[in-house]
Amino acid sequence: MGEGAIGNAYGHFPPPPPPPPQGGRELRHERESMCQSNNIYLPNLATIEAIVDETPDVRTLRLVFQDEQVRENFSFRAGQFAEYSAFGAGESTFCIASAPTRKGYIECCFRSVGRVTESLRRLEVGDTIGVRGPYGNSFPIEQFFGKSLVFIAGGIALPPLRTVIWNCLDLRDKFKDITIVYGARSEADLVYKRELAEWQQRDDVRLVKCVDPGGNGPDFDGKVGFVPNVLEEAAPSSENTVALVCGPPIMIKFTLPVLERLGFADDHIYTTLENRMKCGVGKCGRCNVGNVYVCKDGPVFTAGEVKAMSQEF
Amino acid sequence: MPQIITEQNLRNLIDLLVKESKVVVGPKQADSVVLYQPLAAGSELTLDSLPRRSAKELFFPICENILSYQRLDGKMQVTDVDRSRFPETVLIGAPPCDAASPAILDAVFSWDYNDEFYLERRRKSTIVGIACTQGDDACFCTAVGLAPDTDTGSDLFLTPLKDGSYACKAVTEKGKALVDAHARLFGEAASADAAPFAEQGTEKLDLVKIKKWLEGHFEDPLWEKISDICVGCGSCAFICPACHCFDINDEGSTEQGSRRKHWDACGFSKFTNHASGHNPRDVQNKRYRNRIMHKFKYYDDKFGRTLCTGCGRCVRACPVGIDIAEILSTINAKQD
Repeated sequence: MGEGAIGNAYGHFPPPPPPPPQGGRELRHERESMCQSNNIYLPNLATIEAIVDETPDVRTLRLVFQDEQVRENFSFRAGQFAEYSAFGAGESTFCIASAPTRKGYIECCFRSVGRVTESLRRLEVGDTIGVRGPYGNSFPIEQFFGKSLVFIAGGIALPPLRTVIWNCLDLRDKFKDITIVYGARSEADLVYKRELAEWQQRDDVRLVKCVDPGGNGPDFDGKVGFVPNVLEEAAPSSENTVALVCGPPIMIKFTLPVLERLGFADDHIYTTLENRMKCGVGKCGRCNVGNVYVCKDGPVFTAGEVKAMSQEF
Repeated sequence: MPQIITEQNLRNLIDLLVKESKVVVGPKQADSVVLYQPLAAGSELTLDSLPRRSAKELFFPICENILSYQRLDGKMQVTDVDRSRFPETVLIGAPPCDAASPAILDAVFSWDYNDEFYLERRRKSTIVGIACTQGDDACFCTAVGLAPDTDTGSDLFLTPLKDGSYACKAVTEKGKALVDAHARLFGEAASADAAPFAEQGTEKLDLVKIKKWLEGHFEDPLWEKISDICVGCGSCAFICPACHCFDINDEGSTEQGSRRKHWDACGFSKFTNHASGHNPRDVQNKRYRNRIMHKFKYYDDKFGRTLCTGCGRCVRACPVGIDIAEILSTINAKQD
């Protein structure tokens, strides 16, 4: 379908001359030149290498770029996001949930709640999806060297921290104590269960996992309670420590005062904002919080930066 | 004496440009309304009223393909849009409020990441602006730093003269090239008496003061007061020469189709709605606040420009009578 069709159907302006017939040769030619294209909306194609169902409605896709050059050169930092597309449904924004220290693939993790995510869910191993990115800023991991880290996540918000957690665990010598406080509504809603088990096994990580009251089965081996309360009880030291918090707005709201009581300064608390996005590159105009564009200025912010924003979350 | 072009020669110029296979776009009567449309001949140019919609769609179409995809032999292929096929375009007859809009939008489409769909069209376009003699009650360009005779954004700027011809000012190299290529259509003026410019109903606003007030009044009773009648129809954004918010969607099947970029509006209730159902701008007055803030504070913070040309289209189009110029005057008059 050519550009011309749009001009006629939707606008007053005349279409450019019709494109040459779309044979396989033409398309292959275009495909080869994709890497050089200056079209910022053009995704790279990736193959779904593995699918993991984290919960009944949360799924992880492991993706491998089809283009060899892209596969070798794609690099990102923990905290950055991408636009993932299911062709025919559109694009959706998720963080890159795998660690930049794990090469050769990327992973995304999403809950099926809308048109695109439901289409992504219908894809199978071997299918193709589009990936644009990486976009946005990232966690300043180098600034955390020599410090202790406390990760605090709720529900589906573990993926944006999981990239940092593995990034830091892969550079374990660079950090002092690593504490992870992670909670969800119920046992079934805990994501990355196999990795939680792995972190629990490690003696260089302190994992405190919890579920909301009523969400625990008889054999649950974690705490029962809400994340902010469980965090307060776990009481990680704030000395020479950075806290990284991701979760639903209500969890963040009640977690920040706890961190304050534990002695964390605002500029030692990091979080990510997860606003709705379309372009991912500062043009489409919907992810702003006041004059801050989450896609360009974020998604990673300190608590101090978040408090200074127009309060519209 | 400045260079001039007679009205007949202006129309002849259009005929010539059409013959040169350029796309010439100008105000044209389309049934009961005037719209910017491709002109088949100079005789179609209508210069007696402001077109219903702005000229931004020349560079930023209502809806356009940004790629197409197709599964071939079981393998997904993505094809870029060939932007080299975008036509050379001349926009003729845009008043300052429309000619100035690309100059504003260039900033957002070219910062950090270049939107080549917009930029390629800009590179291939020449804007012939015309001083405005047709202002009405809704116009407020003078309030936002423009004027009926501002040549900002124009490559060639025409000023209507009393004798019916137009004084010409080549503002840019592109404008000069247009004149040079058709030099025989341009002549010397006998006198330089300009036709009276449009009257403006709104006093000049202090945009710095307005921005400062906005900075301190993210929370203010004003927002609810001015916008609880807003029905969120998005008309103001769609006809605005400066609004540039867009959406990206796929049209087609999982086998074949296209991805499209199309206009969106911050007034729509789903604009910022999260997949979870949470919406940071969950009520209309928050959405309207964003509209005002974006135009008079956020865009200025980022790009040093006000995202408004004072064309007054949103005032004319609003089904419930929200008047942005009146809101700005109210803010301008505030003491705190």
